[in-house]
Amino acid sequence: MLVSITLPVRLILFWQLITSTGYVSPHILPLPKNVIKIFLSLFSEERLMLHIVISLRRVMSGFLIGIAAGFSFGLLIGLSRTGEKIFAPFFHALRQVPMIGWIPLIVMWFGMSELPRILVIAISAFYPMALNTFTGVRNVPSEYIELASVYGYKRLKLIRRVIIPAALPSIITGITLSLGMSWVILVAAELLIETPVGIGRLISNGRETCNMEQVLVGIITVALLGFIMTMMIEKLAKVVERGRSIHQEL
Amino acid sequence: MSKSLLKRFEWKDKLLALIVPLLVLVAWQSAVSLQLFSEMILVPPLTVMNTLVDLARTGDLTNNIISSLKRVLSGFLLGASTGFFLGLLMGLSSLLDRFVGPLIKACKQVPQFALMPLIILWFGIDEVSKVVFISIGAFFPMVFNTYQGVSGVPKKYRELARVFNYKSFRYLTKVILPGALPSIITGVRHSLGLSWMFVVGAELFGSESGVGYMMVWARQLFQIDIVMAGLFVIGIIGFTMNIILQIIEKRVLRWRVSFDGRMA
Repeated sequence: MLVSITLPVRLILFWQLITSTGYVSPHILPLPKNVIKIFLSLFSEERLMLHIVISLRRVMSGFLIGIAAGFSFGLLIGLSRTGEKIFAPFFHALRQVPMIGWIPLIVMWFGMSELPRILVIAISAFYPMALNTFTGVRNVPSEYIELASVYGYKRLKLIRRVIIPAALPSIITGITLSLGMSWVILVAAELLIETPVGIGRLISNGRETCNMEQVLVGIITVALLGFIMTMMIEKLAKVVERGRSIHQEL
Repeated sequence: MSKSLLKRFEWKDKLLALIVPLLVLVAWQSAVSLQLFSEMILVPPLTVMNTLVDLARTGDLTNNIISSLKRVLSGFLLGASTGFFLGLLMGLSSLLDRFVGPLIKACKQVPQFALMPLIILWFGIDEVSKVVFISIGAFFPMVFNTYQGVSGVPKKYRELARVFNYKSFRYLTKVILPGALPSIITGVRHSLGLSWMFVVGAELFGSESGVGYMMVWARQLFQIDIVMAGLFVIGIIGFTMNIILQIIEKRVLRWRVSFDGRMA
């Protein structure tokens, strides 16, 4: 515990040490205090905030579309064996194409606009969500289904009251994985589909002007935001899980 | 009788699996025939096939595939071997684990594509930066899976090895590595999959050769047939890599099951 708390401190100390001794040129790795200075100046100009808000909006729209579609698709092929046989092979074949590979085609179809960026993020969020929903549904113990049919549950009630709650842990894993994927692809989408704003733009601007500090500010911001969002999802997962176990006890 | 029943079901399954691809092809072809979209946006499936054949005949495709594969191989070997050794050491030494583990987890939070501009600033825009970028993608799944595999080797195996007074090399090759192998193979599979995605990303970002480069170049010239052919090629290569590693994985797991049987 102590070790993991002091990690950022140690990291910054180490960073300070190797840069201040002049061992590493500031063009390769700038001093921490310069990075903080750039961070603060970007922050006070509200430019950083604008980049963050735009990127967050992109990642959230893509992520939400992706998990909604992934959930529905996973549920469909999970609930119906015929559905699985019809759709799953095609799904697995498409999954082999690396997400990044879709970018040139999607750009040709939709141009350099907001839509292709969100679409690429949505596609990348779709796969883990669909897979995990599917496995979650398929791993529901058959006793649950039998019990539910004894109680005369209709199909919709069975899905809502039995299958989805029982598949929830796997579904939540899917949401977490999808979120991680969305962040990875967000930066790729912002770098490869040119955009005037966004954290990816901030980073590549920094590269074009050889402003190492700005590149690092961008990278650290993306990492921190991704980290915070993952933490939030994990917290949410715990709350849901606790609610579920209480529900089961009742 | 049951066997023939099984066979019939398999046939039916295969036919069912063909429905969606056929529908997509029909929709695609009819959209072209009805001229719903311009030639810039959609070309007939057959044109993509012809383009693929043409590209293969002129040798363009093969050259690009070879340079992509070279990159992916060097990046993968560099990243996966580093990840393997670090994961192994972390699994064996709790001190190193406590010291390096959180650092690696923190680094994993950075979306790796964000590192691309940084890597270009550090290593220039040539081959080295691409290999480094790919190796970063290959590194993370490998280090985590090796670590998990090694630290997951049952304690009783370790104790038994100590009772038999195994020397470190023998301990490593007879106890730790076989025990961790399934997890390591999973690591290799994920690592290679990510390497493949990263090479495409790196080539889209800026390069003079490779399948990703072929697609970017075709996009700028509005040759959508080449973009689609490229997409098809990267899908097939990713698929082949996955299949090969799945076969290896199955072999390894079969060996492990029989090994456990003898132990019991």
